[in-house]
Amino acid sequence: MRFDFYEPTTIGECIEMLTHFGQEASLLAGGTDLLVKLRLRHIRPQAVISLGVIDELKKLERKSDGSLEIGAMKTLQEVESSNLLANEFDLVRQGAGCVSSIQVRNVATLGGNSCNASPSADTVPALIALGAEVQIVGPHGERHLVLEDFFTGPGETVLQKGEILTEFKLPAPSSHSGGTYKKYAIRGEVDISIVGVATRLTLDRNHKLQEVRIVLGGVAPTPNRVRRAEDMLVGQDPREELFEEAAQLAAEESRPISDQRATAQYRREMVKVWTRYTLQETFQKARQNHHGKG
Amino acid sequence: MKQRKELNVNGKIYEVFVEPWRTLLEVLREELHLTGAKMGCDDGNCGACTVVIDGKAIKGCLMLVPQAKGKKILTIEGLGSGENLHPLQQAFIDHFAVQCGFCTPGMIMSAKALLDEKPDATEEEIRSGLQGNICRCTGYVKIVEAVEAARDKLAQKSNPL
Ligand SMILES: Cc1cc2nc3c(=O)[nH]c(=O)nc-3n(C[C@H](O)[C@H](O)[C@H](O)COP(=O)(O)OP(=O)(O)OC[C@H]3O[C@@H](n4cnc5c(N)ncnc54)[C@H](O)[C@@H]3O)c2cc1C
Ligand code: FES
Ligand code: FES
Repeated sequence: MRFDFYEPTTIGECIEMLTHFGQEASLLAGGTDLLVKLRLRHIRPQAVISLGVIDELKKLERKSDGSLEIGAMKTLQEVESSNLLANEFDLVRQGAGCVSSIQVRNVATLGGNSCNASPSADTVPALIALGAEVQIVGPHGERHLVLEDFFTGPGETVLQKGEILTEFKLPAPSSHSGGTYKKYAIRGEVDISIVGVATRLTLDRNHKLQEVRIVLGGVAPTPNRVRRAEDMLVGQDPREELFEEAAQLAAEESRPISDQRATAQYRREMVKVWTRYTLQETFQKARQNHHGKG
Repeated sequence: MKQRKELNVNGKIYEVFVEPWRTLLEVLREELHLTGAKMGCDDGNCGACTVVIDGKAIKGCLMLVPQAKGKKILTIEGLGSGENLHPLQQAFIDHFAVQCGFCTPGMIMSAKALLDEKPDATEEEIRSGLQGNICRCTGYVKIVEAVEAARDKLAQKSNPL
């Protein structure tokens, strides 16, 4: 490892530096992924540019329309313990709480978890299930896209030279909804997910399924929604057999690989089990919220 | 290129000349000779390098030294002094929570951050707070008992009735 260290104080200054150094620069958020890559010499940047003292990236704000904005540099611990994220946005807290240990969550950031683009990043399925949008700022201004379109492959994103992810925007959720993220790993939180499933259900007045999101992590090159299963459930009366069917569809749609943690076949089987469990749990939460708020 | 850095460790300001790619753990051990924090895996998995920064437990091997600028760093050396042990240190001895001792400084620093934040942490909270610290000797039971004992001792101190 050999590099110069830079600490811009504004987003503008940071983008200038990034543009200047081009391929020779690496951005540092919390560093929990980057340091490992530097140490293993997977990357050898000339410049490491820290986002650590850019205050604009540390906001956490509920807007008057009920939506929420989370800066890319919020740590996973801040996310997990934030009261602003309780209730409707609790899915994000569940995802953040699943990442490794407290020592890692105290420095790892929400932005870093997405930008590292690991297929098994634990906050990503939860954020996608909540309909998160990302704001990207670069030399040519800013652009927005939904988080599911941010990833292009393992370790790869749509970020272009000079661009940074600045914040996540979560749309105002309906109160008649619930969400669950479940991670399956051999050694619990401290281990990387074999499978991660986030589900979100919104009920209409008649207790039918109005909106459904099922998002899988760890079983395809990028985290992704299982649209076939989602579409099948929309408009239906929630029933046990339907959740079972949706879980089967999710397993069929997944494209897992075999590695040292699990075989593809095992992963697919776990997608089925975890999707069914999370749908059941999510339905209970949505129903309670429905009753609770009338 | 070496740069002058000021580090605030255990209430003392140290001036060091180090390259920006050195980790906080390396600098604590090799420049400041504070060898309490241990280097186990050097990639964030074992927790032997745990120190407390601005009240929060972190892994020293996962932090570059410039990231610690302006922060208050607490290591095991800053916890007690010779004869005068911190209740956590005394409890680890009294409850046989130390065997080879390699994980102990990290365990104690994680426990310290946890009890500072949650003085009434339950057994479950203690277990989850220590999840990032691996011990290959004790089997954890004694460690959890020690932290519970220290918690009770600290509660007595702050509330003498
Ligand atoms: C021991 C250990 C266990 C772990 N366990 C888990 C786990 O269980 N689940 C899990 O999901 N992850 C896990 N991780 C991975 C890691 O902690 C997370 O991915 C973390 O959220 C990364 O955030 P960071 O701020 O540390 O990112 P960094 O390491 O600073 O950055 C990661 C990458 O994203 C880029 N980047 C960061 N922020 C931005 C931005 N705003 N704009 C553009 N690019 C950016 C960086 O250049 C870098 O390439 C683990 C890591 C370790 C070391
Ligand atoms: S040496 Fe830092 S976690 Fe193992
Ligand atoms: S006492 Fe030996 S590793 Fe814990």
